Amino acid sequence: MSDKVSGNELANGLTCSINGGVQSIPASPSKTLLTLLRDDFALTGTKRSCDIGRCGACMVLIDGKPFNSCLTMAYQCCGKQITTIEGLSAGGIGSIQQAFLEEGGFQCGYCTPGMIISVKALLDDNPDPSDDEIAEALSGNLCRCTGYGGIWRAVKRAIELIGCQ
Amino acid sequence: MGMNIQEATESPLVWQPQTAEEAWKYKQSYGDDGVYIAGGTLLRTQWEAGTAIPPRHFIDLNSIPGLNEISIGEEGLLIGSQTTLQACRANPLLQRHFPMVIAAVRTIAAPSIRNLATIGGNIVSVVGDSITALLAYDAVLVWYNGVKEQEEDLADWLPEAAKPGNRHDRLLLRLLLPFKAYRKEETPCSSEEGQVNSDTKLFHAYHKIGRRESFTPSLVTVSVSGLLTRTGVIEELQIAVGGGQTIPGRLEEAERAVKGKIVDNAMLAYLYDRIIELYEPREDIFASAAYRKRTAANLIVTELWKAFGGLSEQGG
Repeated sequence: MSDKVSGNELANGLTCSINGGVQSIPASPSKTLLTLLRDDFALTGTKRSCDIGRCGACMVLIDGKPFNSCLTMAYQCCGKQITTIEGLSAGGIGSIQQAFLEEGGFQCGYCTPGMIISVKALLDDNPDPSDDEIAEALSGNLCRCTGYGGIWRAVKRAIELIGCQ
Repeated sequence: MGMNIQEATESPLVWQPQTAEEAWKYKQSYGDDGVYIAGGTLLRTQWEAGTAIPPRHFIDLNSIPGLNEISIGEEGLLIGSQTTLQACRANPLLQRHFPMVIAAVRTIAAPSIRNLATIGGNIVSVVGDSITALLAYDAVLVWYNGVKEQEEDLADWLPEAAKPGNRHDRLLLRLLLPFKAYRKEETPCSSEEGQVNSDTKLFHAYHKIGRRESFTPSLVTVSVSGLLTRTGVIEELQIAVGGGQTIPGRLEEAERAVKGKIVDNAMLAYLYDRIIELYEPREDIFASAAYRKRTAANLIVTELWKAFGGLSEQGG
């Protein structure tokens, strides 16, 4: 049979890229990416909320696509490129974050990192999405404050800003 | 919040087989203490909710090459069981030939979940929202049973799989969506209604009714498709219903009862009553069985009415 990946082996061998830097970390195979990011790497921009993939506060990019880090287990991240909200701001505030600032796309801010990650994934794939495509892309992100109006305006503004670049 | 249940338990072992045979052997070795796992989205939520005990052995199906591909076979479209729902959503072959599957997948969770969850996982859950669409297309499951590949109609497998104590030892390799002769000329960009020729018209629709607009568990799912003549005679008809914890199924008696009939008010009223009679949904605290029956019957009858262009426009 093929190789066995045990908890101990993973502890010595889980290697992935986080925000552009290669990392090797000890972890149980079933440990969530969310816990790894927050507790092992102090990347607390990724938020914990529902823990069952419903709210989107813990959204990260894995190989450029959005994933709920609360559902993604450590062994599923081997060899992957992981980008958190901190990774998006490494070179300063980007167009999407600027748009959220300009349009009031947040109030308490707890959902905002996840929202911005989802918008980033959408616009990287499709710089000029339709309203239906925007709604679908953000259908996994919940906000209890804004009523979504500011978020919707922020996405539209981000499309404009990116289109002007 | 805090530590997840899985993190609080003993660290599992993750096995990464390279073939279906290896995966099956792992499952035989570990029995109930081992679980086939791909995206793991449903399993993870079951562990968090305490409705399933986290196993000590994960059998990682993503490590088996070739199970995440969509291709055209001799009899139809082949979808690897490890194909993610989002990959299904974006696949041009599925979009062209099996639009109800696309419509169904689009309603399952959100893109971030669909990037992890697989079509195979949705099927083996027995109540996944893609199943009604797959049933309407007469989907065939291809299993590995430890010796050889084994084909089984999805419609035949569902009632057996739903029985208490059923062991899921076989490994789902892929599903086959057969091409039907009467659907072959369907246009690449399928709309709600497609003209096959000047005398007949294809129609298809998938509906999921939940308690909110998006990212919601279903109360009722409905797939209805078929072929109508210009004069309103139903030449082909497939009706599948499911939703919530109801095991999805085809309403074959209702299909047979109206096939060859003309779509008119009397026929639609008759079909409505037959659906109410045949569809046996499980109720819960959110919606009664009666509500689900009415919802399914209304959706199906409405789609037939729309397919014929509206009876009032036809003087019906």
